[in-house]
Amino acid sequence: MVKLEFHDPSGALEVTQPFAPRLATLEGKRVGFVSNEQWQAYRMLPLLKAMLEKDVPGIQVLPIDAFPQGNALIGTEETAAAVKKSGVDAVIVGNAA
Amino acid sequence: MKNAVAGVGLAPDAAMVTFPIHMFLPGSDIGPLEARRREVYEGLTGWKSGFAQGTGAPKMLEVEGASYEDALVKANHLLLTNLWGDGLPLWPATKERVSWILGGSAAPPDQVLGKFPPRGGITTVETCAIALAMAGGRPEYLPVLVASVEACLAAPGFDQLQATSGGPFPAVIVNGPIAKQIRLNSGFGLLGPDPQRPAGASIGRALRLLQQNVGGALPGVGTMAIFGAMRYTNAVFAEDEEGLPPGWLPHATQRHGFAPGTNSASVVFAAGVTNVRRRGAKKESPEEDALNGMWRMADYMRTPNLAALAGWEKGTPGIMMLAPIVARRMAELGWTQQSIREFLWENSRIPMAHMKRAGAPAWIEIDSNPVTRASIALDPWPVCQKPENIVLVVAGGGHPTHSYWLQAHSPTVEGRVIRVPETFDRLLADADRDLGCGDDVCRV
Repeated sequence: MVKLEFHDPSGALEVTQPFAPRLATLEGKRVGFVSNEQWQAYRMLPLLKAMLEKDVPGIQVLPIDAFPQGNALIGTEETAAAVKKSGVDAVIVGNAA
Repeated sequence: MKNAVAGVGLAPDAAMVTFPIHMFLPGSDIGPLEARRREVYEGLTGWKSGFAQGTGAPKMLEVEGASYEDALVKANHLLLTNLWGDGLPLWPATKERVSWILGGSAAPPDQVLGKFPPRGGITTVETCAIALAMAGGRPEYLPVLVASVEACLAAPGFDQLQATSGGPFPAVIVNGPIAKQIRLNSGFGLLGPDPQRPAGASIGRALRLLQQNVGGALPGVGTMAIFGAMRYTNAVFAEDEEGLPPGWLPHATQRHGFAPGTNSASVVFAAGVTNVRRRGAKKESPEEDALNGMWRMADYMRTPNLAALAGWEKGTPGIMMLAPIVARRMAELGWTQQSIREFLWENSRIPMAHMKRAGAPAWIEIDSNPVTRASIALDPWPVCQKPENIVLVVAGGGHPTHSYWLQAHSPTVEGRVIRVPETFDRLLADADRDLGCGDDVCRV
C-alpha cells in the first residue's frame, strides 16, 4: 500500500470572543432594531416587531427607526454608542448586504 | 453567516434560521417568517455555541492506495469532499512538496500574514505554500503569492469583496524583473494559460484556493458571486515594461510610488473583462485611428457600473490595458499616460438623466463613503473621482487591434514590494533545469 500524508489547507481558526449571552426570556425585555434598509427590511422588520409584540408578554420593541439606518451608518461607533445608551436588552440587526 | 461570525473572532456556528432567497425580493411573500417565528425567538434565547475559545490548528490528512496513482486519486477525492478543491486535479500538499515551495520564501514559514476573511483562517507563509503546492506551483512563485496575499488582506472591505454577489476577483499586476525571471506572461494571451509562461496560472489558482479554503469563499455559501468569472486562476500577469514608450512609467511607480525596477505586486479587484476593438478598419490616418480607439474605450467605460462605486474616491473603476505596440504609436502621436487617463475620464462621464433612468442615484445615495454620496451632485457623473483613479497598464500581445477593459469593484489598489530569498538565483537555475531555458531567445 502507498500512503500519502498531506496538509489540511484550511488554516487555523481562532475563537477570540464568546457570543453575547442569550436572554433567558424575551418577556418584559426592551428590544431594538438596527436596519440597513436592504433586502425587504422595510417589510420584514415591522412584521417581526408586530409578531414579538403579539407573542411575548411585556416586551417593549422600539420603533424600527429608533437608531440610525442604512449601510453607511449602522456600522459606526456612534450607532453602537446610541444602542448602548438606549439601555435595550437586545438588538436585532437586519437585513444583510 | 458562519464565515462572517468566525471572521470577527466568534465561533463558527451562529444561530441561523434559513429562508429561500425569494423572500428577500421585491413583492415577495414574507409569510414564511411568520410561520417560523418560534425558531427566531429560540435563536435569541435558548441557542448556545458548541465551540470553546482558543485556536484550532489544522491536522495532517492521510490516504492509502494500492498504488501511487490510486492514492493520488483518493487524495483528490478527499480534498473535494472536504470542499477544498476547484474541480481540477490538485497536487496533495505533502511535507516534501510544501518544504520545497517554502524554499522560495524570504520569511519564516510561521510568519502570520493575517486572517483571511470572511472566515478568518489564520494565513501564514506556510499556508500560502500549501495552496501553491496544491496549485502546481514552484518555489520561485511564492514571493509573488505572498505579496499578493498581503495586498488582498490589506484591502479595506476585503471581507465584502470575498463574499459579494458581484464576484470580484483579484487582478494582480506584477512589475519588476521578477516577472520575466519566474516566467510570468506580459504578452500574447497574458490572461490565459501559456505553457512557456506558466507562473500566472499557478499563482492565481493558489490565491483562489486560499480565498476559498482559508477565507471561506465557497460558491453559494461563503461567496454569493452569482457568476464567478475568472475564479479558477484569478488574473496574475506582468506589465510589459520593455514595451513602455520612452518616458512612460511602470504602473507600480505611478500608482504606488515604487522606484522603477522594484519587484512589486499590485492588486485590483476586477469584476469583468471586456475586449474593445480599438483599431480602425479602413483608411484612417494615425491620428484618427488613435482617437477613434480612445472614443471606443471611453464608450465602454461610460456605463452606470455601480460596482465601481466602491472605488469611486480611492480605488479604481478598472484597468485599461493597451498593447505595447499601441502605446508606442500613441506616444509618437503625443499622447501621454496622463492625457490618456484624462481623455477616458472626461469622456466616460454619464449624463445624470441616463443615471436616473437606470436607477443609479439610489445606489449612490446609500453608499457608505460620504465623498461618493456627494458625487450625486455631479452632472455628467464621472465614473471615478479623478483621472488618476483609472489604472492604465501596457501589456498584451504585439498586435494593434484590441484593448482590454477590466471593470472593477475595487475600493483600493493595494501594492506590495515582493521580497525574495537570498537563494533566489538558485531557484531560477532549478527552473531552467526543470522547464528548459526561460530566456526570450529560447522561446517559440
